[in-house]
Amino acid sequence: MTTGPQRDEPPPFWGSWRRVYLGVLLYLATLIGLFWAFARAFTR
Amino acid sequence: MRPLDWVVLFGSLAGIVTYGLYKGRGSDTVNQYLLAGKTMPWYAMALSIMATQASAITFISTTGQSYVDGMRFIQFYFGLPVAMVILSATAVPIFHRANVYTAYEYLEQRFDAKTRALVSAVFLIQRGLACGLALYATAIVLTVLLGWPDWITTVLMTGLVILYTVLGGVKAVTWTDVQQMLIIFAGLIVALLTAILLLPGEVSFLDALALAGAAGRLNAVDASFNLRTNYTLWSGLIGGTFLALSYFGTDQSQVQRYLTGRSIAQSRLSLLFNAVAKVPMQFVILFIGAIVFVFFVFEKPPLLFHPVELEKIRGRAEFAEVDARFGRAFDERRSVAMGFLKAHRAGDPVQTARRVEEYRRAQKELDAARAQGAGLAEKGNDTNYIFLTFVTRYMPAGVVGLIMAAIFAAAMSSVSAEINSLATVTVIDIYKRHVRKAASDREYLWASRLGTAFWGCYAMAFAQYGRELGSLIEAVNRVGSLFYGAMLGAFVLAFFFPRVRGTAAFLGVLAGEAAIFYAHLFTGIAFLWYNVLGCLVVVATGLAVQRAAERGRMRL
Repeated sequence: MTTGPQRDEPPPFWGSWRRVYLGVLLYLATLIGLFWAFARAFTR
Repeated sequence: MRPLDWVVLFGSLAGIVTYGLYKGRGSDTVNQYLLAGKTMPWYAMALSIMATQASAITFISTTGQSYVDGMRFIQFYFGLPVAMVILSATAVPIFHRANVYTAYEYLEQRFDAKTRALVSAVFLIQRGLACGLALYATAIVLTVLLGWPDWITTVLMTGLVILYTVLGGVKAVTWTDVQQMLIIFAGLIVALLTAILLLPGEVSFLDALALAGAAGRLNAVDASFNLRTNYTLWSGLIGGTFLALSYFGTDQSQVQRYLTGRSIAQSRLSLLFNAVAKVPMQFVILFIGAIVFVFFVFEKPPLLFHPVELEKIRGRAEFAEVDARFGRAFDERRSVAMGFLKAHRAGDPVQTARRVEEYRRAQKELDAARAQGAGLAEKGNDTNYIFLTFVTRYMPAGVVGLIMAAIFAAAMSSVSAEINSLATVTVIDIYKRHVRKAASDREYLWASRLGTAFWGCYAMAFAQYGRELGSLIEAVNRVGSLFYGAMLGAFVLAFFFPRVRGTAAFLGVLAGEAAIFYAHLFTGIAFLWYNVLGCLVVVATGLAVQRAAERGRMRL
């Protein structure tokens, strides 16, 4: 067992972790959309 | 490699070791040595997590995979951000509050000693094999291209890693990972820019995209659903999420990185940084492979990229005929590629469509000639040699050294984290738990140092004897997916099903492993799905056994 700190703090931006998680998932959806558009634009 | 390349390569290696030794000072308690006293900032953990995952063989073979098969491999990483979000919300606070050195220590708090011992043993077997194999695979590729005996590559890489990891513990591992990741980033950016600059003057960047796309090398997203296809949007999102959950949530080589965080928030940020940065990074690596493909549309590639195998088949009677076929196919493809670009630039859709068909036919003929050449060789799969052949033959002095340094850095960062975590599990979950329960902190510290040295030497020895494994290599290569699903299942039971007790979880893990090995040996299911299957079987069995026990049908 360790004796380190176990603080839980709010994220440094966007106010809550829930919003940060949502932001990451929206970012992933955007990336997949961009990759799909990229592949479609150059694959004939 | 020219003198400047050697200076860059050895300068980088010396810098890594010196920095590791410097940053690892003061690791004189077990807590400092294994968890850095829980003082790490998020960016150091983030880059360490990334560097641990990015092994040299990923670097080398991903670019080759894109050259041969296009960018579909990117889908493998689509589940990673989802997994990072889930782990940030669940595993990170649970592990931090449990105040543990290893993920498996938590399993004893939650279940019992036998479940902890079983999952620790699975980790030691799986990670020990994977560590040695990754080292072997890297050494064998570098050896062929640098012309050194393979033991020199292995001993150089592992020896340096053992030096700073044994002395500095997890602090040295983490801070050298940061430095190594920066070298990898620099190598990637320089490789991409140089590859684009090396394209012929008459081929613009957009022309290169058109050529790569028409040959199917930019196929980043495949939305079809097929359980037997390795890389689709769905296997990436579902199977990839389970794989990433298993790897980042249950594999001590990764868990230990974020256990060193100074707070839950810092550990979460380190995982979320990876959620944001990993997919674009893999995209860049794959994109380099696509650009290298376009480069070789205009520059004749060797029939086989594996130089030793190519030399061997030169003596075969059929070689001249196959090589001539390959030469004709290359000339034809280059000619129709120029025709396609002319039609494409003119904006004539009918001509463009016709030229695309010609270009694809020419590509198919070239692929067939290459396959025929590969058929003559003992080891025809040369994917791992494509990128490094391009680097060593065509890149300017200094850049070759930087890219080689990036590849060494990728190998060393993975090996250091792996031997550090293997030693941690050996000491905390085996030695301290079962052999010497009440020894002094000093004894555990020295055991940790000895454990690190042992696992480093083990990886080196395994890499030396790797070639003796022959055809087993391919089977062992996917070793992670054979174990991860069951390990993840144990943690899912621990986190989300408070009613389930130790014996039910233990039997669940055994059933999960049995299901994965059955799927591996007797079905054609793609390996990414093993993680889903194993996890689901562990959870279902654990719940069923617990339910039976509660109803008095089974005594646990």
